[in-house]
Amino acid sequence: MKCDIAVVGSGLAALVATRTLQQAGRNAVLIWPGLSSLYFTYATVDVLGYSDLTTTQPVEQPEAGVAKLIADHPNHPYALAGLDALRSGTTLLIEWLRAAGFTWQGSLARNLLLPTAIGTPKPSCLYPESMAAGDLQRDEPIVFCGFVGYEDFVPELAASNLSRSWGRGDQSVRAIRVSLPGFDTSRLFTSIDLARSFEDKAFRREVASRIRREIAIDSVRVGVPAVLGLTHDTDVYSSFAAEVGHPVFEIPTLPPSVLGLRLFDRLRKHIQESGVEMIWAAPAHEAEVSDGQCRRIYLKSAGREHPIDARAYVLALEDMVDGALRAGVHTVVDPFFHQSLAHHAVPTERTDESLFRPQPFASIGYAVTDRLQPSAGDGHPLARNVFLAGGAIAGYDPVGTKSRGGLAIATGYRAAKEAMAA
Amino acid sequence: MPDTTTGVVVIGGGSTGAGVLRDLSMRGIEAVLVEKGDLASGTTGRSHGLLHSGGRYCVNDLAAAIECVEEGRILRRIARTTIEDTGGYFVSVSEEDLAWEPRFVEGCAKAGITCERISVEEARRREPALSQHVRTVFWIPEDGHLDPFYLVMGNVESARRRGAQARTYTEVTGFIRDGNQLTGVLTRDTMTGEETSIGCKAVINATGAWAGFVARLLDVEVKVVPVKGVMVVLSHRVAHATINRCHKPGDGDIIVPALSVAILGTTAVKVPHPEVLPIEWDEVRHMIEEGSLMADGVSTARAMRAYAGVRPLYDLGAEAEGREMSRNFAVIDHEQRDGIAGFTSIVGGKVTTYRLMAERVTDLVARRLGVTTPCTTAEVPLNDRDDELDQLRHRPAQLGVPKPHGGERPLQPLVCECELVRPQDVTPWFEDAAVRTLEDIRRRTRTGMGPCQAAICSYRLAGRLVTDRHQDGPTATRAMAELLETRWRGVRHVFWGSQLRQAQVTTGLHLELFNLDRQLMLQAEPAAAPEAVGARQ
Repeated sequence: MKCDIAVVGSGLAALVATRTLQQAGRNAVLIWPGLSSLYFTYATVDVLGYSDLTTTQPVEQPEAGVAKLIADHPNHPYALAGLDALRSGTTLLIEWLRAAGFTWQGSLARNLLLPTAIGTPKPSCLYPESMAAGDLQRDEPIVFCGFVGYEDFVPELAASNLSRSWGRGDQSVRAIRVSLPGFDTSRLFTSIDLARSFEDKAFRREVASRIRREIAIDSVRVGVPAVLGLTHDTDVYSSFAAEVGHPVFEIPTLPPSVLGLRLFDRLRKHIQESGVEMIWAAPAHEAEVSDGQCRRIYLKSAGREHPIDARAYVLALEDMVDGALRAGVHTVVDPFFHQSLAHHAVPTERTDESLFRPQPFASIGYAVTDRLQPSAGDGHPLARNVFLAGGAIAGYDPVGTKSRGGLAIATGYRAAKEAMAA
Repeated sequence: MPDTTTGVVVIGGGSTGAGVLRDLSMRGIEAVLVEKGDLASGTTGRSHGLLHSGGRYCVNDLAAAIECVEEGRILRRIARTTIEDTGGYFVSVSEEDLAWEPRFVEGCAKAGITCERISVEEARRREPALSQHVRTVFWIPEDGHLDPFYLVMGNVESARRRGAQARTYTEVTGFIRDGNQLTGVLTRDTMTGEETSIGCKAVINATGAWAGFVARLLDVEVKVVPVKGVMVVLSHRVAHATINRCHKPGDGDIIVPALSVAILGTTAVKVPHPEVLPIEWDEVRHMIEEGSLMADGVSTARAMRAYAGVRPLYDLGAEAEGREMSRNFAVIDHEQRDGIAGFTSIVGGKVTTYRLMAERVTDLVARRLGVTTPCTTAEVPLNDRDDELDQLRHRPAQLGVPKPHGGERPLQPLVCECELVRPQDVTPWFEDAAVRTLEDIRRRTRTGMGPCQAAICSYRLAGRLVTDRHQDGPTATRAMAELLETRWRGVRHVFWGSQLRQAQVTTGLHLELFNLDRQLMLQAEPAAAPEAVGARQ
């Protein structure tokens, strides 16, 4: 198969890169290695939640925060991608979300603090409208509403934690539960089952009336697990909120996170519908390089390898999750150029003793040139027409600073721009 | 006056202590068990789970082998639901192994172990996992898997139904004496620091590798040699039956299919203290390499975690070291040996022979107390009442997992998808005062033992701490984090392949989606912190 530019990846970096190419009128093919597990733990687009790993003070203005981070850390992936790539990529994503029928809010100018399922305030940059009423800079008391028999969102836990860390006093946060019609607690059900049911008008209305009955006072807002519709979420949310009669906000749950599914599924469908060819569930590997140019890569599929010949390639892979890197017992190798990216005499060296501190393995990745081309670490590209985005770049660890979304946007946008210029 | 009184205080909540507690209660002797951690949190819960046919000991340690034969048969009667009758293979892969075979066959005959030589072709037909290196095979039908957690819980629950008590996180700090007679123990709660005293007529020291520390409180010596063993857990069973190397017992020569996983064992390294159990990379690597010699799929299976346990080998004064030392046990009558009336230690031994050890020490103590009721633990099953513990083996059917021949039920809710744990499996334990941490729930229900290593269920369990135990959010969140950290300590040692993907999902969920790292930091900050976050700027 021949194409202009091939984008490989299943996460936000791949989607932003593909959209960037499409908007520029280029013929891009999106090669989707398979359903990424990150789907199931995704909700908002976080650009920069904390300026470093030791602070609990959130970044108020993500764009200014990233600018400072770039100034302080010239080798950080944000610095490699550049602040302009973050700005332009975010504008592109916001417009795309609108075009795809989402009603998302937020901007690079300000982080919102939204409560998580354990009741912790979390700085978020872009977020669905259905989460916005959770804004912890607003004063109204919060009622966390869970569902009987559904333990993937525990309102009592969220309420107890938030009442201690949110300075509005103990009376301002409480937890209730309502039962759901048709959901017998002796049966297994997941967030996806609930999200489907919420698309039904009668179900929604009944749940709303049960919630209304539990809440006696005015001027509260109601936090519910993020299961308000699987595909028609905008209609589901607004009609449900109207029937509850209080501001309602969604809180992402244990996986599968319906918010992540909604985001990725719709963006992927939208880009397909707007004419981008997509190759499904095909992991890619093996870059064939001659004269400093990648001539083709290969797709693994049933029975045989399919070559993809493109003029340029964007490898927008999210670390281990979609097979960007292969971790043997001692050596982590890259599947395209067969470089040894890291060697560890003992596998424990890849980890920190605590799960809650930065993990060395998360930063393993390709060294890149100042144009995001993979390099052997000497500043020279391994192939002039290959560009990296996402978690496979060395030093890319969004976990502690809460910057997964922004890093994906900035690197995805920049890599696409470079691929067009190649 | 002591805070409470009882007949006998049993120190140690492993299989031996639990067995003693049950034996005492069945002879009508009032008893309290005290354990400084959780039940089955020491040697027992860190064993490899091999129900010994005796084959591993029949050449070097005939007495221990004979005990295994007898006790294995008794356990199949009284503890059916803790045992999986897998049978086992003893395989030879080298010249040295072949030279060992005649001694093995002779040892089996002497110990009364059923042992059948089968052709490699027949063995491979039954067990396709056997590797190409395998040259000869013996079938030992009485090897199996013994679930050490269910065994301890089953013994303790059986004793509790007869009026006995078990206090976890209760450490013995001293003894009460009246001249040469022990009249009680002093204890301290290892979590709250609360001190209590229990008056009693006799004390049984069933602390295994820790027996020397307890005895030292009375200025007497019990020489126990702590010998570390490292195990590796694979994410699936690999083989249908246990596989042993047919050679002089050595490192990495056992594979035990245990419920949903397989356990590779083990090493033998003397350690200075039973709680100093470092897991060395060479041990992990060696076990996987040696395991691969016996079974295909060991090196390609996903290794999920590694853990280390400690054998409580009793030093009989011989020159023997580590595996050379007997796995036999001894009852030490401190009244006779040291002039301390009412104090008895039970040392050495192994999980497979826990019941016999309990019987012997209880015989002595009961006689001293003038109780003539005979031991019945070899006859009365553990689950002699309708008991959820009994249901383990039937769990997939209860869950409505589709069966090939009809009878399909809708799936029931699950707390832990990896290990198929239902809400009703965990609920009673939240009402049990002996259960203090989420690790304790794990030991009793297997919640969190599967491939995701508590990534998902830890949140649901934290929720139950708030709803069922009325703990506050920060306490429950800390408990959730501790469960994840404990699991992580084992995961780190086998960190390659898909383990990295799993870790990425776990950190994506807890640190990104939940913001757990900041929650823990906020909780650790002084009380003034609440205003800082989310306050109007």
